[in-house]
Amino acid sequence: MAKEITGYVKLQVKGGQANPSPPIGPALGSKGLNIMEFCKQFNARTQDKMGQVLPVLITVFSDKSFEFVVKTPPAANLLLDAAKIKGGSAEPNRKKVGSVTWDQVRDIAQVKMPDLNAFKVESAMKMIAGTARSMGITVSGKAPWEE
Amino acid sequence: MQYLEFKISCDEHYREILIAELAEVGFDSFLETDEGFDAYIPEDSFDRNNYTQVIAQYADVADLSVVESKMDKVNWNEEWEKHYDPITVGDQVYVRASFHNPRTEFPYEIQINPKMSFGTGHHATTFLMLSHQLGIDHRGKRVLDIGSGTGILAIMAHKLGAASIEAFDIDEWCVENGNENFDLNGMSAVRMGKGTVREVNPQGLFDIVLANINKNVLLDEMEVYSHLVKEGGFLLLSGFYEHDVEDIAERALAVGFVEKAIETKDQWAALVMEKV
Repeated sequence: MAKEITGYVKLQVKGGQANPSPPIGPALGSKGLNIMEFCKQFNARTQDKMGQVLPVLITVFSDKSFEFVVKTPPAANLLLDAAKIKGGSAEPNRKKVGSVTWDQVRDIAQVKMPDLNAFKVESAMKMIAGTARSMGITVSGKAPWEE
Repeated sequence: MQYLEFKISCDEHYREILIAELAEVGFDSFLETDEGFDAYIPEDSFDRNNYTQVIAQYADVADLSVVESKMDKVNWNEEWEKHYDPITVGDQVYVRASFHNPRTEFPYEIQINPKMSFGTGHHATTFLMLSHQLGIDHRGKRVLDIGSGTGILAIMAHKLGAASIEAFDIDEWCVENGNENFDLNGMSAVRMGKGTVREVNPQGLFDIVLANINKNVLLDEMEVYSHLVKEGGFLLLSGFYEHDVEDIAERALAVGFVEKAIETKDQWAALVMEKV
């Protein structure tokens, strides 16, 4: 018989750096899960992505066991890295703080494809470009589909 | 250590962007909520200017509201620690908490009250390290436990007859808990140190060095370990998956060890290396 799911916890944690401090401690501890077990597993699984913020979805079962899925890094983090800037713009429509190329947008879209509701890389690229616009990051040149 | 908690509600579209920007100014983990997200940071590493800049930048466009509070670090793992079962390693070792009944049929009994520290024997890596320790003569030996957690491996070394034991961990919480567990197991003379192997800088050579940490740390510190293990002595390693064994073993071979034994459980692995 399948185990009964009693809840989900959505966290964003830096790869290889999970520890029992908040929010991991209180979020998992309050559900009776063994926090130390989660941290050991998460850190081992994400050791190749040290320091990158990674979304993780934890499924909690009625017997206090858990499973988790580590997702791809958020597009916003990948855009900041690609544009080599620390933060977005206070006025994203008027003041631009950085730029990325469409090739970089394609690279980010390909990384994000497993987690996006997009069947085509072009659709994923449009989503990434939308996030870039909200942060005041311009995408230089013409989109591939405009050429 | 106190933590600052920021309960942030925002337009959903901006949640990911705000998390990315706060990660750039020192926040390292976030809990997603229906309204937005909660962000946490140790008070002593918080830079209010940087934080305020990020929040001010998105205040209007993301329709932000923030509730800030302080939280003490407490034992978040208490709920799990109230109910877990004791474990056994073969017919030799019985690891229990104070609230479990003793079992005299086991030659070695270890008492651990974990208090949010790693090492109760439940995790495969701890189990494998204990199992490897059983196969090595500890009597009269000098033992070092690196990244000691609850102190469980150091306690095993004590029960197996080690003459002297040194242990340390980077986490303040583990240091306190490790010492409590040493007291519970008749090791009041041993006090856990705080820091990495480079910071603690243990002196002299050891017969047995124990390190159940993780792949990145082990690879980084392997050369240091090679200077701590005497010729013919043993280095016991765990904290990595089976598919990482090759990388770990290769690094150990390069600094003067040979592989003596390997055990695996639930995809985790533990190696015994001998210094030649």
